[in-house]
Amino acid sequence: MTAARARRIRFMLVMVLLVGLQFYVRPRLWNPRVAPDFLMLGLMLFAIRSRPGAAALAGFIIGFASDALTPARFGAAMLANTLVGYAAAWGRAVFFADNLLVNAGFIAAGVWLRNLLVLIASGTSGRDLLVQLFLWSPALALSTAIAGVIVLAVFRDWLDIRLEE
Amino acid sequence: MLEPDRTFARRDTALFVFCVALSVGALFAPEPWQYAAASAARSTALAPLIALQRIAEASRTSRTRFDALTAERDSAAVAAQSLPVLLDENAQLRALLDLARRVSPRPVPAEVLHQSLPTDARMLLIGSGRAAGIMPFQPVVSPDGLIGLVRTAGASTALVMTWAHPDFRASAVTLDGSVTGLVGVTADATIREPMLELRGVPYRDSVAVGTPVITSGLGGVFPRGLNIGTVVGVARQSEGWERIYLVRPAAAPARVSHVLVLLGGGVPQPAAAEDSLP
Repeated sequence: MTAARARRIRFMLVMVLLVGLQFYVRPRLWNPRVAPDFLMLGLMLFAIRSRPGAAALAGFIIGFASDALTPARFGAAMLANTLVGYAAAWGRAVFFADNLLVNAGFIAAGVWLRNLLVLIASGTSGRDLLVQLFLWSPALALSTAIAGVIVLAVFRDWLDIRLEE
Repeated sequence: MLEPDRTFARRDTALFVFCVALSVGALFAPEPWQYAAASAARSTALAPLIALQRIAEASRTSRTRFDALTAERDSAAVAAQSLPVLLDENAQLRALLDLARRVSPRPVPAEVLHQSLPTDARMLLIGSGRAAGIMPFQPVVSPDGLIGLVRTAGASTALVMTWAHPDFRASAVTLDGSVTGLVGVTADATIREPMLELRGVPYRDSVAVGTPVITSGLGGVFPRGLNIGTVVGVARQSEGWERIYLVRPAAAPARVSHVLVLLGGGVPQPAAAEDSLP
């Protein structure tokens, strides 16, 4: 087995773990509105180490799954995750530092931006939008970022993401 | 020949544009197509994941909510002590008025499978479907009050449109039966929390703050008497025409962990269809 293939398999194992966490562990954690979004975390980790096109496609697939499970406005999550995946991969290529906290901020920003796009595409407005954006979304972004730090710290070699010592 | 980087960049852009185009197409596709696509995904690729989440929800409920459920059951048992007397009185009064026997809907419990999108509270996925007798347009309630109605039903899951969805409407009446109207989620941008509006109340009728609002039974979807919420004030009024009241909902879809689907109504659908609209 080549080293590149082994890296890919290890990365896929982490992604499968995140999917398992999303559907088996997340329902047991606190309020569902603030429990970490492991699918979004997986998308951000994938975007960090992938090309923008692949990240956009991954975002589209994850968005499709989210829309199938919550079709309040079908297509909103697809569009939001596609844009976030693409932007995250570009952002990583252009200005991103290899630091654990910066990675955490990057993940949090991605979650918050995804929620902003979903809410706008769903026609949410007024104070409900503000409450979602400045109360629930930051809480969700923070918990996802914390989960991201833990995953990065534990699986840093498997994820093949460079971090400063 | 193009350089590798430029080729990759073009491929990235093409993939991105393709995904965005598909997403926008999905956003504006006809509603039956949207539900069909969502249903197909839920019944194939996502089915094992939904089953996994159902196990997790059941486990969480049994561990963390056992005490609360025991307390609720005890309260219900105490309240039920007087039920035989009330039923007897009701039967006697109905006999005097020559009314038919009241049809009681059969409740089916279901776990709510919450998702991470911020619009989760508008459309809930529940862990029971057609196999349990659930059909579109059946009412869904929680111990606190009305949650919404079944929008589509698959074999083992169903989608519930909650009162927080912009398309939700229910015929309502005040508890004393004096004022009727239609409730739907408020579109008022100045209100901080999701609230309902009681619309279509004649200007001559006034409703006091604190008045409970229940379903009226008109329309054939919701039986009479489901708790909707409490009037908290006047939202706005059209001079000489109507008043619109603000109603604080009794049940919160975002926080509910299990619901009851009231069987008996609904719209039957062909068994062959995996997940269809009525």
